Amino acid sequence: MTENVDRETYSAARVRALESLLIEKGIITSETVDKVIDFFEKDMGPFNGARIVAKAWIDPAFKERLLADTPSAIAEMSFPRGMAGAEGENMAAVANTPDVHNLIVCTMCSCYPWPVLGLPPYWFKDPTFRARAIREPRKVLKEFGLDVSESVEVKVWDTSAQIRWFVLLERPEGTEGWTEEQLAAIVTPESMQGAARVVVPA
Amino acid sequence: MKLQHYIGGIEGLEPSSFEKKVFVQPWEERIFGIHVAMMGLSNHLEAVESVPTKFSSFWTWGHLRQGAEGMNPFDYFKYRYYEKWLGGISGFFIESGYVTEEELSTKTAAYLANLDAPLQSGGEPAIDEQIIEYLRVGDSPACDVEAQSKFKVGDTVTVRNPPPVDHCKLPGYLRTKKGVVDEVYEGTYNYYFLTGDGVGDPMPIYNVVFDSHDIWEGITEPNTKIYVQIFEGYLEDPE
Repeated sequence: MTENVDRETYSAARVRALESLLIEKGIITSETVDKVIDFFEKDMGPFNGARIVAKAWIDPAFKERLLADTPSAIAEMSFPRGMAGAEGENMAAVANTPDVHNLIVCTMCSCYPWPVLGLPPYWFKDPTFRARAIREPRKVLKEFGLDVSESVEVKVWDTSAQIRWFVLLERPEGTEGWTEEQLAAIVTPESMQGAARVVVPA
Repeated sequence: MKLQHYIGGIEGLEPSSFEKKVFVQPWEERIFGIHVAMMGLSNHLEAVESVPTKFSSFWTWGHLRQGAEGMNPFDYFKYRYYEKWLGGISGFFIESGYVTEEELSTKTAAYLANLDAPLQSGGEPAIDEQIIEYLRVGDSPACDVEAQSKFKVGDTVTVRNPPPVDHCKLPGYLRTKKGVVDEVYEGTYNYYFLTGDGVGDPMPIYNVVFDSHDIWEGITEPNTKIYVQIFEGYLEDPE
């Protein structure tokens, strides 16, 4: 690394240099990176997962289908083409119950169900989370603000092969009579990985 | 052993960050986009044959991971997630002869002097069409090959302990441990390439459940189960 240059400035310059050279050499285009980022802002992101969870809260038969065959249930809904695309080829939902809390982790890297959740947040990729969540999940969750008692079984899913998991959390109290849109608005990416509760606005 | 394979379970760490941003520095999204482009233009995808890109390499998650697992393990923990990507991917383009170290250094120096200097512009739109199409279609590891699965639901299995390879799909903490098959996934699955430790060819995958106390005894929490999807090549009958 060049001396006397801030680490982030250096990386910013180096990645820009790389991108520029790749365009010059005909490997990618000047639009490529922007189009990829745009895809995750508009088409594939946690807003899709939130709609799926909200629908499952309202429609018990859909919930059953979602848990039995996640891709087919998702295919029933109207989403942009690609819900079984990159990092979504084999997705599966697991449900929290009063007796079971699910937490998703990828100890080796950062596997994440892109079509329903978009790109993994920093905390999910942090080696500290990956190291600790698998061995002491309740302690980590407590630091994140989520208390899971020892009487509730914790299932930690370490993503290492084909499946990309997401959590169908329980519908929170105080949301009776809400529409699907209202419900989807409170579902966060963290809650769909089992790392947070949803907060019902007062 | 490779420390990168053994991250799960490491003790003595600080509380975890709960930073919810995907990209903690604006430059990080650029290297992410480049990696996606490389995956979408990888030479193993049939659709790429007719795409007018000068990229002609085989590039997948496996290749990115192989680079990260090949790092000096102490360096691995010094760099942030996308810093490792930037190092690995720029190294790959230099080693493969697409760009020279000198070109990259010269251009880096130019952008250091003026980070807002424009990028080269232009390129064939068909390149971007393929990359977005790759995102929509994916690259499924599911295979048409049939195979008789060796284990069934309820079987106790032992996780093998093969010697370390350049890229491994087996979390280190599971090695030699016993678990119970919870689900046998339908069909067979390959990996992008042969890892050299028993994975890569089409084979069944199992969902195996472990009691966290069977792995970490007294330093874990009560009532905690660990579920991991494991390629058959990493499993054997308990002796």
